[in-house]
Amino acid sequence: MSETAKKTKKPKGIIRWEAIIPFLIICLVIGLYFHFFFDGHLRRALEWVGYNTVGAEVNIAKLETSFFKASLRVQGIEFTDAEKPTHDSIKIGDIRFSMLWDALLRAKVVVNEAAVEQIEFGVKRARPGKVKPPEPPSNEPGMAEKLKTQALREAQEQAGENVLGDVIAMLGGSTSEEQLQKLQESLPSKAMLDKFQTELQGKQQAWDSRLKTLPQEKDIRALGDRLNKVKYKDFKSPQELQASIQELDKIYKDGDAMYKQIQSTGDDLGKDLKSVETQYRDIEKQVKTDIKTLEEHLRIPKLDAKSLTRAMFNHYLAPYKSKFYRYKAMADKYLPPNLLKKDKKDEEVAIQPHPREKGISYEFGRQNSYPLFWIKRTAVSSQAGITPDAGNIKGEILNITSNQALIGKPTVATLAGDFPAKQIFGFLLKLSLDNTKPESIIDYNFNVDSYALSGQDLVQTPDVQISFNKANGSLGINGKVVGLKNVSVNMDNKFTKVDYAISSKNEIADQILKAVFAGIPVVTLTVNGQGEFPDIPLSVNSNLGPELQKGFEKQIQAKINEARARVQALVDQEIGKQRAQVEAQLNQLRGQFDNEVKKAQAQLDAQKKQAESKVDQAKKDAENQGRKALEKEGQKALDELKKKFGF
Amino acid sequence: MTLLLKQIFSFLKLLNSDTGTNQLAIGLSLGLILGFAPVLSIQTLIVFAIIFIFRVQIGAAFLAAFFFKFVAFIFDQPAHYLGKAILETDSLRPLFVTMYNMPLVPMTRFNNTIVMGSMVVSIVLLPFAFFGFRILIEKYRATVVARFKGTKFWKAFAATKFYNWYLKYDELYG
Repeated sequence: MSETAKKTKKPKGIIRWEAIIPFLIICLVIGLYFHFFFDGHLRRALEWVGYNTVGAEVNIAKLETSFFKASLRVQGIEFTDAEKPTHDSIKIGDIRFSMLWDALLRAKVVVNEAAVEQIEFGVKRARPGKVKPPEPPSNEPGMAEKLKTQALREAQEQAGENVLGDVIAMLGGSTSEEQLQKLQESLPSKAMLDKFQTELQGKQQAWDSRLKTLPQEKDIRALGDRLNKVKYKDFKSPQELQASIQELDKIYKDGDAMYKQIQSTGDDLGKDLKSVETQYRDIEKQVKTDIKTLEEHLRIPKLDAKSLTRAMFNHYLAPYKSKFYRYKAMADKYLPPNLLKKDKKDEEVAIQPHPREKGISYEFGRQNSYPLFWIKRTAVSSQAGITPDAGNIKGEILNITSNQALIGKPTVATLAGDFPAKQIFGFLLKLSLDNTKPESIIDYNFNVDSYALSGQDLVQTPDVQISFNKANGSLGINGKVVGLKNVSVNMDNKFTKVDYAISSKNEIADQILKAVFAGIPVVTLTVNGQGEFPDIPLSVNSNLGPELQKGFEKQIQAKINEARARVQALVDQEIGKQRAQVEAQLNQLRGQFDNEVKKAQAQLDAQKKQAESKVDQAKKDAENQGRKALEKEGQKALDELKKKFGF
Repeated sequence: MTLLLKQIFSFLKLLNSDTGTNQLAIGLSLGLILGFAPVLSIQTLIVFAIIFIFRVQIGAAFLAAFFFKFVAFIFDQPAHYLGKAILETDSLRPLFVTMYNMPLVPMTRFNNTIVMGSMVVSIVLLPFAFFGFRILIEKYRATVVARFKGTKFWKAFAATKFYNWYLKYDELYG
């Protein structure tokens, strides 16, 4: 055996001492990474998340973290305005906060006080921001319907904007006779009527042949004759009575079979008649729709205050609406779903499971314990003058948390201030997000005492241009969102010191519009809406509407009435005759139902009654005869008894 | 990657030797825990610390973790139901409330149904896995390795200079 073979290796101990140096090296590498690279990587990650969440580029100038202080400071946060990428929608100078280590050790994030400073709106960016392309439409069931509804509503709103154009076209007396002629020939109601008439004829033939199979008058009369022949009184023997009753029963059964046949035919015909009448009502509806379509093609305007108000402010309100839908979509996507309640007992409200992609995570909270995430107070402050677009803002956001039920407090934000550079004064925002109840409630209230408007277009169509060259506005918006679905919104907008810019290619319209607007120094606009998302009908009112209505009414109401009468005449001419024919056919069918079926039913009813009365009579007669025979027998027995006793 | 490959070769070498049965069995059993636990959790860190501090066969642990990750993936649904049943047990609720509000314990993510179900299963299986792996390793060595070493091919290979050089190299640097 060689010497080396004899050598045995010294057994190694249970602890891997040789791993200390590699372990220290790994710790050092991790430490160095966090010291030199982590902040940059986190900054880029937040920018990426922001871009995907907001849908537009988000930039962060500087980000600092501290492990020992558990703090984070983010400076120069810029959110690109998706509708105007050259500008930021909001720019925040500084956000800083420290987390509690006590909570971090419990895998929770709790911040006692966070600070948000130097807020600016609509600041021009150094370079245009990237905007995320719109997502392809979802295949989710029901989504197609929602999109269709929304598209329809938008189309209707766009049509509304043309009301003023239509009024002007009517003032100019333009017509579209040829187009109307073509439309008249291809009326959908006409096609429906043709189809309906063919079907009705088929039905009528089928019914004629079926009605022929029904018992005729002679059959019913024969039944009556049979009934009259049956003896129903003065029975000489019980056998005679029995035979009569059997015959009556047979006639009754025959009559009943006839009755059933007539009744089933009557029911079928009744049902058919109903369905035919429903179809006809649909045609009537289509006729009304066709009239409306023709009116739209003829550009007959609705000269009412509401339509005119909508026409005036549609363009002005569009950005607000698009913002509203945008934020609603974001809220739907990112707000946590309503927390499920496992038990109804009060003390167990805090124990709530969160559905996750994999499994469910429960929160075993208790009173005065930390929720998963909680920023107790965020102080918001900004000082005007430090940067050109900065404003004077002061406010606070209380209790931003992942579990309001656990802390028992809603999230409340109050911000107030002004932006002198943008001539916005006295703005106040109060927002409350309450998720402590089964359905979340968002209360919002936003007021601006005064803001400057310049070059605000109201209507921009080829026929008419109306805009505010300059104006002072005040705004108040308040409302509620319940369960992220039921939305109510009230907006009060007032414009003073208005300098209008009005022009129209039609001279009369130009004069009317200028005269109307000259008499309106203050323009009011109120928007009210309530409904379930996305169907929130908005009622738009303004003092402009009635004034415009008055202004135009004298000029064109007669023309509108005349045009409407023309449309009605066109429709009558195209389908009137056919409609009359169809109505006649329908009446014939109704007549058949009433005459033949109901008459046969009535005759049979009469026969039935007669048969029943005869049966009753026969029974009574039999009873009477029986009673008389019994009395006779009794008298005879009494007489014999009297004789026996010698009375 | 090189370190990982070295550990796996080391595992194969140890498996085919006569020593280190317990090291291998513990490594494979801890791999079971690693496979069933979520990657970002305190129990994973604890198991890693055990593997690195104590002389446990790292390659065995990693190979077992890789294998049991697939098992755990298939086992997700039953683990969810088991975890749900445990987490919704009324009598255990005060314990969970206390645990949830203690430092460090929530970092195990025990409050997740799948994590709880998998954790319970892996802890219950741990002793059985240890003894099971021991028996399997011993049987493998007694049957497969011994038979292979008895083959003419192995004897011829073991007689080559190349093999002797390898032995020498292993003795000096292995």
